[in-house]
Amino acid sequence: MSDRIFDRETLLDLTVNVIPLGILVFFVGAYAFIGSFPDDPVIVLIQMSIIVLTGVALSVLTYFSGKAISGAENEMDDYIPAGYSEADAEVAGVPSEPESDASDGAE
Amino acid sequence: MGALLVGIGAFLARTENWRAYAPLAGDPAATGGSHEHEQGHGHKPSGIIRWLTTVDHKDIGVLYGTYGVIAFLWGGVAVLLMRLELTTPTSTLIEPSLYNALLTSHGITMLFLFGTPIIAAFANYFVPLLIGADDMAFPRINAIAFWLLPPGALLIWAGFFTIPLPVDIGPAQTSWTMYAPLSAQQPNPGVDLMMLGLHLTGVSATMGAINFIATIFTERGENVTWANLDIFSWTVLTQSGLILFSFPLLGSALIMLLLDRNFGTTFFAVEGGGPILWQHLFWFFGHPEVYILVLPMMGLVSWILPKFAGRKLFGFKFVVYSTLAIGVLSFGVWAHHMFGSGMDPRIRASFMATSLAIAIPSAVKTFNWITTLWNGRIRLTAPMLFCIGFVSNFVLGGITGVFLAAIPVNLVLHETYYVVGHFHYIVMGMIAFAGFGAIYYWFPIVTGKMYQKTLAKWHFWLSMIGVNITFFSMLLMGYLGMPRRYATYDFNPALAPLASVELLHQVTTFGAFLIGLGTLVWLWNIVQSWAEGPEITDPDPWNTKRDGLHGREFAWFEEQLAADGKLATTDGGEASDASRGSSELRSDGGEADEEQLATDGDAEEQAQPTDD
Repeated sequence: MSDRIFDRETLLDLTVNVIPLGILVFFVGAYAFIGSFPDDPVIVLIQMSIIVLTGVALSVLTYFSGKAISGAENEMDDYIPAGYSEADAEVAGVPSEPESDASDGAE
Repeated sequence: MGALLVGIGAFLARTENWRAYAPLAGDPAATGGSHEHEQGHGHKPSGIIRWLTTVDHKDIGVLYGTYGVIAFLWGGVAVLLMRLELTTPTSTLIEPSLYNALLTSHGITMLFLFGTPIIAAFANYFVPLLIGADDMAFPRINAIAFWLLPPGALLIWAGFFTIPLPVDIGPAQTSWTMYAPLSAQQPNPGVDLMMLGLHLTGVSATMGAINFIATIFTERGENVTWANLDIFSWTVLTQSGLILFSFPLLGSALIMLLLDRNFGTTFFAVEGGGPILWQHLFWFFGHPEVYILVLPMMGLVSWILPKFAGRKLFGFKFVVYSTLAIGVLSFGVWAHHMFGSGMDPRIRASFMATSLAIAIPSAVKTFNWITTLWNGRIRLTAPMLFCIGFVSNFVLGGITGVFLAAIPVNLVLHETYYVVGHFHYIVMGMIAFAGFGAIYYWFPIVTGKMYQKTLAKWHFWLSMIGVNITFFSMLLMGYLGMPRRYATYDFNPALAPLASVELLHQVTTFGAFLIGLGTLVWLWNIVQSWAEGPEITDPDPWNTKRDGLHGREFAWFEEQLAADGKLATTDGGEASDASRGSSELRSDGGEADEEQLATDGDAEEQAQPTDD
């Protein structure tokens, strides 16, 4: 992931999935270094692969979904909020801005 | 047989133009762009033929909904009989064998025949409207997917229908998890029928999921991209992905179990794959199934709740990414259902790690809903009450789930009522609540009528109080060690506080009947309002335009009202001023309007009875 693919806003949005990834990394470290059960290469391989494969799958999906969403955002001339038609957005005076920017105003 | 087929062919040929309303690829009426539904499905036959032959996504949505409601009532009656039995420790009302059958039927009915179909009802009706599609990508497959369900239900319930008959077929007593060797060794053919029925519902769900994925990927309107796809469609897309990867596995495992039962294979026998293999295969499907049921309901709440908070959903993309995260992580947590099965403790520890990780995206959604409410202009309509109840129940149901994810806690509480209380907070307190909220919210679109506000609030409060009495009592019983699934609990008082357990069982039964009463109120309200309620002429019955929260589905509804000549006339001009003024209100969530705080969205006041 680099800034050329994801801008600052998108990276901020993606942090929501970095937290569970961090938890998975923590447990990989914990089980690798302070595990209290005897070593068995096959069992350890299964044990780690359950966590690692899940984490890799999460990373891959997060990357591609983030890329698809930010790519689509860049291609849009006027941002229409999710679930609303252009006509509705105009009638309701909805600002033409991405959701992440709009939601900041709520704080 | 030949004569029968010829007769059916002749009957269908005589039926007025029965295929004419199927949208064709080259039909300009069907491909004219967004919101062309009525043109694409014109000339529908009338009466029962319409419902038997329809490929219109809205009609199929209504069929799914009707089917889901019938299943919900069946499952509800089953559990009320069980709860009556459990008011006393000994067996008094029904035999333990019937209790076991009702337990099995309740679980399978609520998950497979109510939960999945009721989501398909909402998704069929509204996803095409929300994404600006003409219809589902494969309308006929959509119809086939639904019509596999009624025979599925008949097979699943078949054992009950044969009770009065002089045949040796009874209802299955396997519990919904169908654990081997119990399920492999019960000689009752009713178990086979149930598994065949389940297989049909699985095929149905998979066909529906493929259809939703194809529809959302390929049939979106030109202004709908991945950046502004609505949250409900995102959750349906994720759910469909989960179905695609999990239901075929259930189907395969069911076939293997049927082979074990009828052809002497040993997939799940001790001398073959072993009973634990069934548990792994079942829960690899079973845990994603939890999210198959709950993710679209989270999407519904994410869509409806902001409408009555007067603000857009806070952190829309957080909710989208966390939905996708739950989808992926749900495939890595299955063995937390099996912590007590004796698997290697190192592998068990891995499933604890992934189970704790999945709590994060779930909690993110909760905080987003709460933050959306913060400083919002809250209107406590019936849909909003059910959304808030959903969030409240999720806090309890979710946190108890985090406790259960911890191996030491799980080993103490597994197979007790604590687990039952936890997941019922999710399935009843969340999934059913979101369903009720969505039914009220979209009632004007589907029926053209408005429901009765007072009855809807009675329904909510009876359900909310009933849910918390019922399932909190179950949590307490779990702490006291009451095992789940037992038809009787006449155990030695020296082992556990029998008097307390009996009292809690009675409280639980009372709560269950409150829920049942609320459901009757809901049923009466829906049926009577649909038949006799005031017609809606206002395209904005929830007054969402002023906040810039008028969705595509209500824009379509406005077109329909205009096309039918039912649109209420407005005085023009001032509406846009109100809209402009509301933009500021929406952005800071600021000043609440006293009148709006107190009313039920003005919906009924604006519903205009017609003279017809």
